[in-house]
Formats: sequence, structure tokens, C-alpha cells
Amino acid sequence: MSRRASHVLLPVLDVLQSVPVLGFLPAVFIFVLTRVPGEGGQELASIILIFTAMVWAMTFAVITGINQIPNDIKEASKAYGITRSRYLRQVVLPAIYPELIWGCILAWGGAWYFIPVEEYATFGMTQVQLKGLGFFIAQAAAESRLDSAIIGLVAMVLVIIAINRIVWRPLVARTEKYRYEVTGGQRGFHARHGKLRSSLLKYEGRITNPIVTFFKYEKTNLSSFLETVPRVHVPPKVRERLARIFLVTRVIVIIGFLGLMVLVIFFLENSPIPTLQAALNQIQSFQPIKGCTGCLSGFPLLAYSTASSLLRLLAAYLIALGWTLLAGIAIARRQKLAKALIPIFDIGQSIPATALFPIVTLLILSRISSPMGIQLASIVLLLTGMQWYLLFNIIGAIHNIPNDISESTSAYGVSGKRFIREILIPASFPAIISGSMQAWGGGWNATIVSEYIVTGQQQVQQVAGLGAVLVNANNAGSAGTVVIATAIIIMTLTILIINRLVWHRLMKRADRYKFES
Amino acid sequence: MTEEPVIRIDNVSKSFLSEEKPVAVLENVSFNVGKEFLCIVGPSGCGKSTLLRMIDGLDRPSQGNVYFHGKPVEGPTPMMGMVFQTFALIPWKTVLENVEMGLAWMKITEEDRLRRSEKFIQDVGLDGFEASYPKELSGGMKQRVGIARALALEPEVLLMDEPFSSLDALTAEGLRKEVLEIWSNPQFSTNSVIMVTHNVQEAVGMADTVIVMSPRPGKVIDNVRIEMDRPRDQRDPRFYDYVDRIISRIS
Repeated sequence: MSRRASHVLLPVLDVLQSVPVLGFLPAVFIFVLTRVPGEGGQELASIILIFTAMVWAMTFAVITGINQIPNDIKEASKAYGITRSRYLRQVVLPAIYPELIWGCILAWGGAWYFIPVEEYATFGMTQVQLKGLGFFIAQAAAESRLDSAIIGLVAMVLVIIAINRIVWRPLVARTEKYRYEVTGGQRGFHARHGKLRSSLLKYEGRITNPIVTFFKYEKTNLSSFLETVPRVHVPPKVRERLARIFLVTRVIVIIGFLGLMVLVIFFLENSPIPTLQAALNQIQSFQPIKGCTGCLSGFPLLAYSTASSLLRLLAAYLIALGWTLLAGIAIARRQKLAKALIPIFDIGQSIPATALFPIVTLLILSRISSPMGIQLASIVLLLTGMQWYLLFNIIGAIHNIPNDISESTSAYGVSGKRFIREILIPASFPAIISGSMQAWGGGWNATIVSEYIVTGQQQVQQVAGLGAVLVNANNAGSAGTVVIATAIIIMTLTILIINRLVWHRLMKRADRYKFES
Repeated sequence: MTEEPVIRIDNVSKSFLSEEKPVAVLENVSFNVGKEFLCIVGPSGCGKSTLLRMIDGLDRPSQGNVYFHGKPVEGPTPMMGMVFQTFALIPWKTVLENVEMGLAWMKITEEDRLRRSEKFIQDVGLDGFEASYPKELSGGMKQRVGIARALALEPEVLLMDEPFSSLDALTAEGLRKEVLEIWSNPQFSTNSVIMVTHNVQEAVGMADTVIVMSPRPGKVIDNVRIEMDRPRDQRDPRFYDYVDRIISRIS
């Protein structure tokens, strides 16, 4: 990427990675359905959405693959007079293969996440029902037929696993040889257990939000970009000014992009763009439950909802962090445990969280009644959307502890609790941070489907939260468009702010815990 | 030797499974180590590093046994300190903390720990770097930390796994001289050094005894006693005789 393009592109990507993709789902549906009504329109809309989910992952995969071509290969190609077309065929294409397959795997993972949400949903006046596994599970749950729902879920998981084994694994095996990234003979606890290692590598950082994948690669880390030392020696005062210019540019681009998003939402919802006064009025008069006296509305409602979502996310995050850390440590300590648990996590992770939602909700609500029940269900749903990022990042980090470190600690009597405290946990720190970033991103996405749950025909349960606000606003038709836009902006800004203030700072501190490769 | 050797390798064999097939790494290896500087020389893959790990108790033989003062080796012990080819320092700990790593094992007071670590950091020439992090050190300095960490145990046996092969030639030469100086110092409490290397000149320049190993599966094909006073002159014809003898045995 040229330097200038990255000035603009990276802030945009920074925002894009923070946008809750599910927030746009209703808007896209409504847009397509007004143009192509009926079942055809529903299918078209869902295909468009799946496409947008997939295309990101694959685009970024291709970019990553190209970025990984080592400089010396580029130079050698020039030096030996390799023509453009040969260069493309013999150097660029093979470099893309392994990353592209990886991108495809992520793309499909992301798509499966969308499917249940798309196949059975209510957007305003329209009820979307597309025949498919997601629909089957959701409807069975809505009709309290638990056994049917579970059968549907099992079927979905089997299909996913089958595709993994039959399609992806062989492709990965065949393209591994094209990979430039050195995995190094010295690394890994289980270097001898090839199968275990390859399945762990497969899940390192595997996520369902394809946009976030791109940021796994630190090259694109915005703060490190800002700190890049310019090639020319620049005196400190000028450097400060440059940094400030970059910052201002970034902020302008972010605001511009958010504005663009708002316009897109209005366009999709076929709503006229109101004046600022009208917009403010709409927000102030917005109430999730119409005509409720003593309920919050308008800006206080938005603030309260944001706070509620945040608290719920925090609760789910802490639970996820607790158990994944324990699991990671347990797996590191006992190989037998690892062999037993990894396949279970493998399957657990394959289950698209959104397919699980109806079943989990049914189970919890049938035992614990609202309002406690729905709060609990919401937290559990958030948990399923967050925990796998943490788990696989932590396992990956522990797995990547270099062989010589595990030998030397053993040779110098560092074992048991001391090993966990002084080696395992610090070594996991960078992974915990990146896993947390991904988990919160996935979590915000999940709020949209976990705070407002359809539990039967015409029956709905909801909690206070930004996701619920969004869904309610959708149901309000064009009167709610402003609120939808506002909610999405609030969510995006919250994510961006938390990223800056919390995660990026922690990432810098986590640098010292990384092993030099 | 009439007394019990410090380390006795008794008919040790090692194989492991690679993709369901057994691969023999070491075959019937036997030799003794006394109070001497011993080098194990052999081509890559001959199992010499694995052998060293078995001596330190980090790995177990498939057959046969390793004896330390007559007793079979069960696991790592503070009486043996190991220096690693890739330094194996913890990146987020300072030089001082890295050197101290093995001292908690030894049930000495905190002041003693500090004193010992600082002494050995000085001995390897890293005075002033106690608070530095491995990232800030050069390769040679990192290996010095590794050596200090091993020496801090005041171990009976010092084990070194290709300690200089990750360093450039000049740094390696400097460190070799330092190790020999430490070895010749009468105050040095270590009685035996076992060093693994693939560099024959290095072995002949440093060792009292050289164990020569064959390519995989590794067997002992020669046991050479180097009768030269240190410091050894590389231009001495005897030096080259030894080197030639060893190289011809390997190939």
C-alpha cells in the first residue's frame, strides 16, 4: 500500500473494524425488500449480506498474502528479468494461496454466523423466513420444541465439520508449502505431535468477524503506524507537528466516514434526511415501549442503554476471561487433558453462536423467569459470542512458548505454580489483549441479537441495552431511522474509544512479553 | 578411573515416533565423564543434544540409564547447570532476574540470592547490566547471562549445548576464551563440563576428552584424549592431527 493511501485507508479500516456489522443487517433487508418484494427479495438480501461478510475476509487475505512476499524475492525477480505476467503467476499467486484458503475458512465462518440471523428475523413490519437450518432451529425453539431445535443444531454442526474435513483441511495441507511465514522448528510444546499442532494453528485467532482478522497483523496497527520513524531524519519539533497532523487527519477521516455511514443508513431505509431539529426531536421522543409512562426516552434512554450493554458485556467478558485462562493453563500443564479438550473446543467453536441463541434462550427462560431470566440469557449469549476469541488466542500463545524456554525453566527448577505465575500468564498477556479486543468487537455485534429476543409468535423479551434500542428503532419504521443511525454511531464510537484508551495502551505494555522470533 | 565417574552413560538408546514410525536417534551409547572438560562432537542430527538433555534429566532414555554419582538421573537438579544454544532467556525479566532463576530452587536466603547473582554477573563481565532486558543485549551478552545463570547454581557439572553456534565468529572466540579462563580458575566449584558441539576445532581447542559420534542413529565411534596443555595453539601440528583424526572418523 502506498504511504498516502494508508493515511486515509487505515483510519477507515480502524472505523470499519469497530462497526457492528449486524446493525446494518435490517437496513439492507428493508432496502432490498422494497425493491424486490417477496421471497425472492429475501433470498437476494441474504445473499448480498453473506457476500459482504465473505468478501472482506478474502480481500484482506489477498492483501496479507501479497504483503508477506519477502523483499529479497522481489529483488531477485527483478534481477533475473522475470516478466510481469510470470511474476504474477509464479510469485504473487502462490504467495496468495495459503492466505486465501485461510480467508475462505474465515469467510465461511463469518457467513455461518449470519445465516441464523438472516433466516428468521423480524424487521419492522416484515417477518423474514427463509427455509434453512437457521430457520429450522429458530422456529423449533420459538415453538418450544427443544428436541427438534437440538437436532437442527447438531445437523448444522455436522455440516460445518464435514466441510472442514472434506474441503478445507486438504486445501490447507496442499497450500501450506507456499507459505512464507516461518513457523520455526524450535517452537511449540507439542512439536512432535503434528496433528495437535496443526489443529491448534488452525484456530489461532480464528474469528467470525472477518474485518477484525486484518488487524491481527500488526503491520496495520494504527498506533504503530503513527510511530513509524520517517526515513528522513526529522527534528523532534517537526515530528511532533507531523504526528499532530496525522492525528487530525485521522479524526477528520473518522468523522467523515461516520457521516457516510449515516447517509448509507438513510439511503437504505428509504427515509428522507431530516433537519437537525427534526432529528433531535425524533431521538427525544423515541421510546422502546410505546406510551409507557415513567419510562426513559430520548437521550437519557440512549445513555442508560449504552451503560447497560457495557455492564453486561463486562460481566460476560470477565466470566469468559476467567474460564479461558483456566482452560489454557490446564491444557498447557497436562497433555492428556489437551488431547481431550481440544476437540471439544473445536466443535464448540464451530457452532455459530447465533444458531445457539434460540436454544439457549429457550433453556434458560423455561427455568428462570424474567426479568432475571432474560438478563441471564443475554449474558450467556454474549458469552458464546466472546469466549472463543479469548480461548484460542490464549491457547495459541501458550503453544507458542519457545521450546528452549520450556526446557530452561524445567532445567532450573521452575515448575508448578511458579511456572504458571512467572511464565505462562505473562507469556499469554499479549494474546489476552488481542483476544480481548476481538472478543469485545464480537460482543457488541452480539448485543444486537441478544438483547431483543423473539420467544414465540408475537412474543418478545428484551433487556435495556443499545442492541435492543436498535431493534426497536427498526420496528418503528422510518420514524426510527435517526435512532438507528445514532445507535450505530454510539456503538462504533464506544468501541473506538475503548480501543484507544484501553486496548491499545495495554498492547504497548504487552510488548515486553513477546518472544523474539 | 578407579573411582566412580561423575556421570556414567550406560548403554543408552533413544528413539521416538515420527508419524507413527519409530526413529532411532541414539544407539547403545556408553561412556564415562570424570572431573574433566568433555566435548561431544558429531554431525547434525546425531542425537548429541538429546544426550545432553538426558544427562540433565530433561529427557529419558528409551533404554539404558544415565548415572550421576552412581544414582540414576530422575530429573533436573541444582547440581547441574545448563547453557542453551538459543540462550533461553525470559524476555520480560531483567538480567538479574534471569540469573536468579535457578536460585529459588536452592533454599538460600534472599540476600544470598542477590549476592550470588551479582557476583556471577560480574564474573561474566556484565557488571552494570543487572537491570537490562534481554532485548537490549547482543547475542554474546545474552549467552553470558545464560552462563551466569548456570554458574550461579555453583553446580558440580556444567552442561553446554552448542553454546557458541548462535554467535558470530569473533564473539564466539571471545566467549570461548572466557569459559576456559573460568574453567582454569581454582576457585571455580564446577568439576566437570560437558559441551556439545559440531565444531571440531572448538572441541579440540577446549576439551580434555572428545567423544566422537556417528551420524544418526548416534553411536560412539571414538573417544579421544587430548594431551595438550592449555592455552592450546591452533598452529601446533598436534592440534591438527587431532582435528584430522576426529574428522576422518566422522566422515
